[in-house]
Formats: sequence, structure tokens, C-alpha cells
Amino acid sequence: MRAVWQLWLQLWTRLPVLAVLAMLMCLTGLVLALIAMLDARVAYVGMGFVAFASWFWHIGLGQVLRGVCRPESFLLPGFRARLAWLGVADVAQWVLLPGVLLVLAGPPHGALIVAGLVVVAALGLALGCGRRVSLAIWAVFIAAGWMPRLASQVVTVALASPWTAPLLMLCAALLIRYALAPLLRIQDADTPTSPLENASIGRNSQSALDDAQARRGAWNRWLGELFDRAAQYALERSLQAYRRRPSAAGRLALVRRLLLPHDNPQALALRLVLVAGMVVIYFLAVMHRQHFDAAVVGAYAVLLTMARFPQLGRGMLRMRPNLADLYLTLAPATRGEYQKIMVDALMLLVPVSVLTALAYTLLGSVLAHAAEPARMLITAAIVATSASLVALAVHLIGPEGSFGRGAVNLVLIFGAMGAYWGGYWMLGAFGLAWGALALGTVTISFGGGVWYAAQREYQRRAPRFDAPLG
Amino acid sequence: MSAAELPLTLVDPIALPAAPVLHVQGLVKSFDKREVLRGVDWSVPAGRVIGLLGRNGAGKTTLLRCLLGLSPIDGGQVQLLGAPMTEPGGERMHRIGFVPQTFDLFPWMKVRAYLDFTAAFYARWDHALAARLLQGWELDPKQKIGQLSQGQRQKLAIVRAIAPQPDLLVLDEPVASLDPQARRAFMTELLELMRHPGKTVIFSTHITADLERAGADIALLRDGRIQFMRPLAELRERFVRAVLTRAEGWAEAPAMAGALKATVAGSELQMLLEDADPAVLRALAEQAGAELRVETPTLEDLFVELA
Repeated sequence: MRAVWQLWLQLWTRLPVLAVLAMLMCLTGLVLALIAMLDARVAYVGMGFVAFASWFWHIGLGQVLRGVCRPESFLLPGFRARLAWLGVADVAQWVLLPGVLLVLAGPPHGALIVAGLVVVAALGLALGCGRRVSLAIWAVFIAAGWMPRLASQVVTVALASPWTAPLLMLCAALLIRYALAPLLRIQDADTPTSPLENASIGRNSQSALDDAQARRGAWNRWLGELFDRAAQYALERSLQAYRRRPSAAGRLALVRRLLLPHDNPQALALRLVLVAGMVVIYFLAVMHRQHFDAAVVGAYAVLLTMARFPQLGRGMLRMRPNLADLYLTLAPATRGEYQKIMVDALMLLVPVSVLTALAYTLLGSVLAHAAEPARMLITAAIVATSASLVALAVHLIGPEGSFGRGAVNLVLIFGAMGAYWGGYWMLGAFGLAWGALALGTVTISFGGGVWYAAQREYQRRAPRFDAPLG
Repeated sequence: MSAAELPLTLVDPIALPAAPVLHVQGLVKSFDKREVLRGVDWSVPAGRVIGLLGRNGAGKTTLLRCLLGLSPIDGGQVQLLGAPMTEPGGERMHRIGFVPQTFDLFPWMKVRAYLDFTAAFYARWDHALAARLLQGWELDPKQKIGQLSQGQRQKLAIVRAIAPQPDLLVLDEPVASLDPQARRAFMTELLELMRHPGKTVIFSTHITADLERAGADIALLRDGRIQFMRPLAELRERFVRAVLTRAEGWAEAPAMAGALKATVAGSELQMLLEDADPAVLRALAEQAGAELRVETPTLEDLFVELA
């Protein structure tokens, strides 16, 4: 049992905050379930707490398992058996214990709630393992959005049917198999991708915990090959151009091809197509809601665009040892010159982000039949510009620790969302021209100021090539 | 030396299979369309130290990982400790130790936590040995693995591999990042381990002096196959380097039975010969009007010539 205990401890040592919060939430739920023996209605609230806790816990557990299930781990005697025992302990903790309390409290639909707890745990685990099952949940929402009356009838029948709980359990079993099978399969490691690659499209689905790459399926491998071909083509073109006419601009283009291999026109177009597919699904899901506001499209477009920058922050840390080679290749006259080249190279991300946000907003506004597409597009363009500048700035000189970065990312995302909604209101209140002028003056001058100060500070700093500490 | 003085705790003797520790037949492994192993046939008896030699990219790491089931194979069979190695599993895992070429696992763990984690899985874990090696190799148990240098990580990997007292130790370039002191200490531990009956070590390395020190059997991996596996002493016996010197130099190397390679450098003709007949060599020298010098090549010389 020592090995099972060690495996169980991994979540506590890797994600202590999550583990503590999830456990506290779970305890709250269990206490409520105990109280529910006096009043059965409280049991539902209690199980809600347990479900939330279980969701977060199992996302963390999935991430930890991604790190632990490396081929070498399978040399540990009885590794799979110990994992199975961990699963048993997990079921006891998250399903059996709440289930027993629920039975004691005796509210209706007890079996359904227990089955729901299993599904929630399985979904969390699958998500943590890097499997994109959240798309499957969307399918349910899409169906419910299309035919709300039918959905309501299905729910009513399902609540009464004795088959619902077993069906949910079956779904959970399939989900768990889907999530764990790739982790338990020993296969050759995928070729590492660039640390600065865009992670928002699943091309590079790494665990934020330890950069353990999710196992790529055939679809993702094929996609990867497409992106790599585009990167190779772009690099060759830049090389040819540089050979024909060596210049500082040509050298900068080469540095960009090296640092940001998938930010070339072909790869951008491919990414847009892929994201467009996801956006279509999303709109199918949300536009059938009764109170759907098309303006939200721009906010989500900005949100998607901003998702690029956290990866940039992590990637720059991981790239450090490789950058020593770049430094020697560029042979700059001063360290400041090298830092400036880096800053200029990364500046490419700002227009790329703005174009991406515009493309997503345009697509969304068409799909959602937005009443004021111009207002949305202008707001998204201005906010994406300023938010990208700020995001790039803080990831250049911001905190290196994962907690600090996480906090900064949250502030950035909320700030960008606030700016979008504020800007959208301004354009409505003052008209497109005056509103855009006011919004641009405030946000772009702020973004530009932050960026200017950050890049000055970055150039002042000495370049660092030491590997980040684990 | 009594059992108490040995660096490893003696354990209950394990009935070793009569069959070889490792038996490989027709092992094929490709990456995409590049075939790295092209039908490897290899048999390793128990109680030997095997040095796996091969040039960079020859497939040594791939072969070792395939043997342990850490890399799926495309064809052939691997039998490890008497059972097919389709995937790592079963009781025999208690008897296998492995040092990977680069230890990049679990960077978030502290050294002590990592060893505790690993020890929990093993029936036989020599805590005293692990503690002694940690101290001797100046590994701080409170340090995170991600903060260790490559050499320190390699030391940790060696501790982790030796502490379960394995019957089969597979080492993939274990000393590549070690300083000379640590390398020597590692070799001492390895030789101590080999004092126990039935212990088998397979290790790939480019440091041929270590293999000479361990008196290893040499297996050469080339062109995706094991070309030969012979005891070092036999290699030394069978291979000689004949140096023929004459003032007028050599237009071309004369034909000679057993000649594997010939190199002309000014007045010298160097020939690497297998099972050379000294009488034939002397006759050749006399006929060519050359002075003959016969040398025993070092393992490194042999590796350079044969690999």
C-alpha cells in the first residue's frame, strides 16, 4: 500500500492549493450531506459541493498522471496494479463515501446523483489527461439549445428511468478508458515542439504542470505535420530572401522563423480554419439561448487571442538554454542589441494577435447575425492591440514563478474583457468614430506605454540562458 | 570480505533461469520509415558484464529501450529473464534496474521524495546503500531533481537503479556526464554488484577503458545488428595490429587472410588482422623487405576500426 499512498500523495505535492481547496469543498459537501439526514433538500447542495470538488480534484489528478505515466515508470514493479488500487481508493473517496451519506439522507434520485458523481470525476480526469472531451459536453448543450422542449422532456424521462444511472456509469467507464488508455500505452515519445508554439489550438497540448506532452493521436500528428511543413516552407523562403539580399530586416525575419515557427502566413491561415471550426460549434451551442448577446463574440475572440500569451511566457523560460546558441549565431555587438532583436522579433505577435481577433470576431458576427458588426470589429481590434501589447510586455519582464504568471494572466484576461465591454459601450454611446477615438486613446496609449517601458527594461537587462529550475 | 562488509545487502538467492537472461530474435525497430534495428539476434548469458558498443546513432539506446519494453518494437521477439517482453510488467520488474541516457523525469520532486516514491514499489530496496551513495556522491536529498546538474541526475539514476538490488542492470551511457571521481566510484559499485552470483549488467558506453576495467564481453552494434559478442580477452587474443615499415613506402596494402582494415601512412602500413598467423606475417614482411611489429590493439582501437 506504500506505493498507492505515494501515488495518492503526488497530487498533494504537485498541486497543494488545488488539493486543499477540493478537499475542503468536499468536506463541506459531506457535512451538508450529514445535515441532510434532518432535511433531505440540503443533500442536493452537499452533493453539488462534492461534484465541484471532484471535478477540480480529478482535473489535477489527470495532470499529475500525465506527468507520472512515462514509459520508465512502467519499470516500477506492479505500477499498473498500483494505479488500479489508486483508482479504487479514489472511487471510495469521491463516490462511495458521498453515496453512503446520500443513501442515509434518503433524498430522491440518489442513484442518479451517485452516477452523476462518477461522470463528473471521469470528465475531470479526462480533461486533466489532456483529452478534449469538453467538446462532447458542448454537443449536449448544442442539442439542448436547439430543442429545449425535447431536452426538457428527455430530462424528465431520464430522471424517472431506472436505466439512466447505469447509462451514466457506462459513459463514465468509456470516458475513463478514453482518458487513461493513451497514458497506459507505451509508445515512442513525440518529437518535441517549439516551446513558443501556439497552444490554443491543441497543436501542442502540454501540461502546464511539467510540460509533459499529451499523447498525440493520428489527427493531431497529421495537423502537426501540416504546421511543420508550413514552418519549413516559411523558413526556406526567408533564407532565400536573406541569401539574395542580406539585411537587418531579413535577419529579423529569420529570427522570427526560428522563435515563432508557426506564425507564418500559411500556418496562421491553417490555425484560423481550425479555430473557425471550433467557433462554429461554439455558436451553434450558444446562439440558441434565449438571451444570447451577439456582442459577446468579440469578447470571446479577444479571450481566444489572449490565450496565446501564457504559452509565450512559459516558452521563453524553456527556450533560454537554446537562446544561447542564437546569441552566439547572431554575434551582437552588445547584449542590449541582442535583447532588442528579441523584442523586435516577438513584436510580430501583436499584429498576428490583432488579425486573429479580427478574423474570429468577423466569423462570429456573421454566424451570429450580429446587429452591429462594425462596432464589434472596431472594439475587438483596438482592445486586442492594446491587450497584446500589455501581455507581451508583462511576459517579457513579468514574474517567472507559475503562481505569479497565473495571477498576471488572470489580471490580463479580466482586464481585456473589461476593456472590451467598456469599449463596446463607448462606441455605442459616442458613435463609432468618437467612441473608437476615445477607446483607442485610452487603451492603446496605455498598452503602448506599458510596452515601451517593458521593452526598455528588457533591453536594459542582461540576457539569461540558464535553464529554468524545475 | 564478509556479507556485512559488502556494500550491498545480500538477499535471498533467486533461482536464476537456465535460459539466458536476455534472448533477442529478429528484433526490428523503425522510426517513421527509418529502420534503426534490422533484425537483431542477441543472447546474453547470466552473470556477465556486457559492453554494448556502437557509433553515435547506431541504435544502442533504441535497442536497450526495446529490450525493456520501453519502446514498442516492429518485429521479432525479446525474452527477458525467461519471459517474453511484450510490455514491462510482472514480478521480474523487481529484478531489473535501468539507468536511462538522460534522466529528465519528475523534475518537481525532491531527491528524497523521488527515492521514497520509487522504493515503495520494490520488494528489495537497499535503503542503507541508497543513503550511503547519496552521501558519498554528495546528493542533497532536499534538492529538487530539476535543480540537479546532468551529472548529479545521472548519479541519482544510478542510485535508483542499484538500490533495488537488481539481477539485471541495464545502463545507457551511465557515466557520460560523470566526473572522474564519480565514474570511478560508480565502477567500484558496479564491480561490487557483480561479485554477487548471477548478476548481469548490460551497458552502453563510449568509454572503453571502463569496459576493460570491468572485463566485459563486448557486443558491437552496427548496421542495425549485433555484429559480434565476444569476451574482451578473446578479442585481444584474436585481433592484432601488424605494422610493416619500409623506407620506400606502400603503394597498396598486400592481400592477407584475416585482414579487416589496412591503412598506409608514409612508410608504415598498419593492418588490423583477425586470427592472424604469425608465420604468414613474418613471411609477408620478409617478402616485402619490411620491418614487422605486432601490437595488441586497445579496445578503443578496435572500436575505431570495427564500429
